Amino acid sequence: MEFPAVLFPSYFGAGPPREDGGPAPVAGWGEHGQVLEGGPCRRQAQPAFVPRRGATGERWEASDAAAVPVLLPSAGCWIPSPAPQDILYRGGLCKKLRASKSRATLDFARQLGHFFVDHPEDAFGSLGQLLHKNFYLGNSMLKVTLCPGITVLFPTHPLAILNLCPLLLGCPRQHLASRLRWFSHLCRDWLFEVPLGLLADCLHEELMQQWSNLLFDDSLTGGALAWLPPEDGGTPVGRLVYPGGKAMNHLYFQDMVLEELPRARGSPAQFELSGRVRQVAAARVDGEDFVGVRSDYHCGVWRVPGRTGATPTPLQVIRTDVPASCLTVSPHLPGELSVCTQSGTIYLWSVETGLQQLRHDPQTMFFRDHSPWRWSDFTAHPRVLSCADRTGLQCLDARAPKKCHFDLFKVGEEAGCQQGERVVLPMYLGRAHPSQYLVTTQFSVYVLDERLPLVPVLKWAHMMKAPPLFAHLMPGNPGRSHQVLLGASRTQELLLLQYRGGSRSACQLAGTPQKLQSIMGCLQHLPTQLPHRQHLLQQRLAAPAAGLAATLQEDGPHKSMLVFQLSEAGDVFCQRLTHKAAQPPAPPSRDEATLAPGSSPLFEAPASSPQGLGAAALRYRRWLRALSRTCREPPQHTWHPSLSQRRLFTRRDLEGPAGPSSLQRQMHQRLRQAMQEGSRIQHWEPLAIQPPPLPQTPELVGGPDPLSARLTAAWAGDWEQWWEERTSFSVAQRQRALRERRRRQKRARGRRSLSASFTSSLTYQSELSELSDAGPPLLSPGHPLILSQEGSPPAGSPAVCSPPASPAPDEALLSSQSLRCRGIPKERRKTLRDYLSVWAEGPPEPPEPPGSQASQLCIPSSQSQLSSASQPRRKRPRMGF
Amino acid sequence: SSHEHKLNFRQSKEACLSYIQDALLQKQWKRAAEFLTCYVESLEKDYSREQIGPSEMIWRIGTEILWHHSQSSMKEFNCFMEQMKTLGVKRYLKVCLEHVFHLLCNGQIDEAYQNLSLAESWRFGEQTAIQDKEMKLIEAYRGLLDYYSWSKQKNILLEHSEDGFSDLAVEQEMHSYFRKAAVSLKEIIKIPGVWDIFVKCYVDLLEFYGDHNEARQVLNEYAYNSKFPANPNAHVYLYQFLKRQGESKKSLISALKILHDIVPSHELMIDFNTMLQKSKKRKKHLLGLEVIFAALDYAGWKENAKAWSCLARQVKQIVTSEKHLDWIKQEWNSRKDWWPAFHFSRFLAKRNWQENESLSYEKALVAGILLGKDCKYFKYVSHQGCKAQLKRFRMLKKFVNRHNPVYLRISG
Repeated sequence: MEFPAVLFPSYFGAGPPREDGGPAPVAGWGEHGQVLEGGPCRRQAQPAFVPRRGATGERWEASDAAAVPVLLPSAGCWIPSPAPQDILYRGGLCKKLRASKSRATLDFARQLGHFFVDHPEDAFGSLGQLLHKNFYLGNSMLKVTLCPGITVLFPTHPLAILNLCPLLLGCPRQHLASRLRWFSHLCRDWLFEVPLGLLADCLHEELMQQWSNLLFDDSLTGGALAWLPPEDGGTPVGRLVYPGGKAMNHLYFQDMVLEELPRARGSPAQFELSGRVRQVAAARVDGEDFVGVRSDYHCGVWRVPGRTGATPTPLQVIRTDVPASCLTVSPHLPGELSVCTQSGTIYLWSVETGLQQLRHDPQTMFFRDHSPWRWSDFTAHPRVLSCADRTGLQCLDARAPKKCHFDLFKVGEEAGCQQGERVVLPMYLGRAHPSQYLVTTQFSVYVLDERLPLVPVLKWAHMMKAPPLFAHLMPGNPGRSHQVLLGASRTQELLLLQYRGGSRSACQLAGTPQKLQSIMGCLQHLPTQLPHRQHLLQQRLAAPAAGLAATLQEDGPHKSMLVFQLSEAGDVFCQRLTHKAAQPPAPPSRDEATLAPGSSPLFEAPASSPQGLGAAALRYRRWLRALSRTCREPPQHTWHPSLSQRRLFTRRDLEGPAGPSSLQRQMHQRLRQAMQEGSRIQHWEPLAIQPPPLPQTPELVGGPDPLSARLTAAWAGDWEQWWEERTSFSVAQRQRALRERRRRQKRARGRRSLSASFTSSLTYQSELSELSDAGPPLLSPGHPLILSQEGSPPAGSPAVCSPPASPAPDEALLSSQSLRCRGIPKERRKTLRDYLSVWAEGPPEPPEPPGSQASQLCIPSSQSQLSSASQPRRKRPRMGF
Repeated sequence: SSHEHKLNFRQSKEACLSYIQDALLQKQWKRAAEFLTCYVESLEKDYSREQIGPSEMIWRIGTEILWHHSQSSMKEFNCFMEQMKTLGVKRYLKVCLEHVFHLLCNGQIDEAYQNLSLAESWRFGEQTAIQDKEMKLIEAYRGLLDYYSWSKQKNILLEHSEDGFSDLAVEQEMHSYFRKAAVSLKEIIKIPGVWDIFVKCYVDLLEFYGDHNEARQVLNEYAYNSKFPANPNAHVYLYQFLKRQGESKKSLISALKILHDIVPSHELMIDFNTMLQKSKKRKKHLLGLEVIFAALDYAGWKENAKAWSCLARQVKQIVTSEKHLDWIKQEWNSRKDWWPAFHFSRFLAKRNWQENESLSYEKALVAGILLGKDCKYFKYVSHQGCKAQLKRFRMLKKFVNRHNPVYLRISG
């Protein structure tokens, strides 16, 4: 534990950061910072100086042109998280705003529309059901004339109305539907299950949350990938710990054999967790690895014995009320971790003794910052923990946390910070030097020494486009330089830094920083795919990074570095860097040649390989094949057609009245006259005093079905009387309805097998494209029976969500009478009937008992959205609550 | 239109910059240089008032490329730097400093000195706070180089005086270097900062001319001024100065006590402990015990055999004299819940035994006394030691067995 005898000179000031701010795109280049006398003297009596930055470092060269997948893609397609274009407002206004460097505009209306489409059951669910049960209008339109000249047609099924709402609210072509606007104006008070204001508030909040997550998602801080190195002197088999599964809620421990390219051995140990894994942290104490896993509300710790092949054992799980933002594992004591929650609480968590609260402070430490993010890590003293928020770091003694603490890092003049700079990731560098600490901000990276708090011993502007959320340290042997990897999430950037010193000599940044390949970078080397597949591949490879791990491998004189990168899609990619011992003066750099666009050395046959293709290329082949396998065939039950609802109203229905009513004409005339005369209109009454235009009794267009009758009665004001009649009448009617339904069910069961036998998927698909008019699929795929909106289900049919139990709705549709009523030509009726029967039953290929089909149809909507992979349209962000 | 043109220009500028950045980060210096020549054009057409104008970018990127480019030479570099100095008034001093640093790192001390003197005489309107700081640094570095010249002359003079010569010219030159160095070094160490090298040189100058009071004052100021960062080196320099001056033990101890308070893990703590052990006062012994316990709390000291032997010696002393067992008890109280896992695990016993036998001996002694003879660490090491027929391990076993009741008293 020596302290450098001489440190690099620097000014020290207290207070807030200096005024100049903003990211400097090249601030990290061309500066030595300071110099110090040191190093071997070249000439006698001539001091030799070493720079703080710019000393020569080790030389690492990538051995492949791109990062290579180490694991096959996990089964099941990945759902991309929302992209800016999903949330932002698109259009001319947007461009203008962006040009003026204003803030981004969230497309609130579109999201609300999406919400109605994606979650109709939440927005209108029980109301729809209520209406559904009690209102029956027959197969006809209800025409209501509100005042002379304005006639509104109610479609008879309430659900039909529901589907209009997105059209009404976020409608991009509102000028087409002024009449619909009236309609929405009429019904908006009663149509929504959730009050619109409240819904909008919640949605807006969610939208802001999503947007801020898009800008910077700090829940990933620390990264969800860990490498457990092989035991010293043991077989070269390490372990990779990473999350997987569609929801990233499975934890895998995979044995990896370190060869030219690391290779998975055996199947991984797998644990299913109850939340998305945000962070995986690991530390080795006394030959055993302790792996801490953080999800939003749960943190768990596993012990992995050092010997290879030993199974990891879960030790303990804690649950937090507030999302946890940090979990680090002690490198000093077995089974000790530190946990932070977003409420500003820091715990020392020992598997043996439980949780000890060290601090609870919802406020930030040095100045006010709104972020609830907190971090904590260990220090050189096993009982002293660091705690961090966006404004800085403090160290506190767990034995007396209130009394004993000191400031380690402050965003301010002390460290020469810029304005607006915030701590992004602190990390204890104990393996390089027991008292060193790494702090990254969005602009710079700092190395701190606990023994000299507040003054960074090293500072460098990293120039990364996104803040470095992940960092990994590979300590060098004494006297050698330490390698630090920084990783960003959204941009997948990876930066390799080297530094040395800290004990005998002052800290120095060695060599130039080096950019490593990102996952996305391999796309240009891959063979060209079909456009649609290319798009999928691109989307997959561009997924934000979710973790970073690396290891040094020494094989005699050869030294190499393996860097693993995890993406949010669950892919783990790896790249190998080989150490070049001596720095030749000017070697023709291989990289410069490979960077020529279009060339893909990855797939060129290296001379040394007898098979004709490199190991990396083979890996890629296999990975691509597996990826296309998992993504090409969406699970059958998620197949669904898209339907347009343009046919809900015919053009004629939507046409307004031919001309202004007589009353209006009269008014116009009066107004014009008054203007000509220059007089005033004091009373707006027509000349002849007329009774106020009461709404007329609705005309019944269709037959006198119960709902129409009831509405009519209610409109006319004698609803009570209607009810009296109804109750006496209803018992008998209900019995009749029940009998009727049973009969239909019986018939439907017979027919279903029949229709399945002659309906091929091909025919209905082609019919479908005719039907759907290529409009966007506005129906929620989870509830395909919404189609039956036009046909009116008989009273008492079951809830929307359990369709297969009652084929009744389509029964009504399928009768050729009803089809004829709709004006569907005879030759189409059969196909439509077939198609609709398919709707009620799910895909026909596997003839399964109706019971299992029920489960197929009632899949949760999130899963069914997977099928959007087969559609050109991008998945909308899920705005669920 | 002109707006569109501006936009396109800006975009292409940004694209070019990102290509340069990419090339730099992949160490493709030639490629970067090619792109930079394109980028230089943007300087001519840029009228924007951005904070970081292209001229700064060109300076930074150009410097970086010239550092690494295989075909660049020092001459070219100097030429480039001279051009860069004229590009921006605000950056003049900064570029000068960086130029000097590069010259210094390449051993061109004289050129560096010339550049520093030139920069020192530069005046342009009113200086900003940053420029003021940069100017002070330039002066300080010039002072530092003066100091090196001074010490060179001094060495010559000392050699000559050994031979019996005395060269007046050399002596005068030396004094003038001293004056120049002292004036500028004195200036910068008044300002809060980390000035280790400047302070060291200044104190050396003062000591040579016998101005010990001034030296002491400078060192005290550097160590104890609360505006300065808590730099352990400041205390180390003071301690070393006091030691050189032959100060009393008391003042040495008080200097180290402060160092212990701010950095309990400093390597001087071993010296401190030995010094306290030699003292006759009981209080000092207690402090010594505290110091060594505190040092061993740190991960960096975990395998420091010297520290463990200090602790073992003191613990053994206390146990054999059976006085002041409460001292150990007090120290042990705050550590007994984590030291066993931190220091005395079976895993560490194995490793210490394999890697450093004498370390394991000292640790086993401490473990045996603090945790009793059934402690894993002690059991493993004493067993191995006896198996290897090492006499001192047998003695150790005997000692611990004899004093086992102590463990009960400590932990009780």
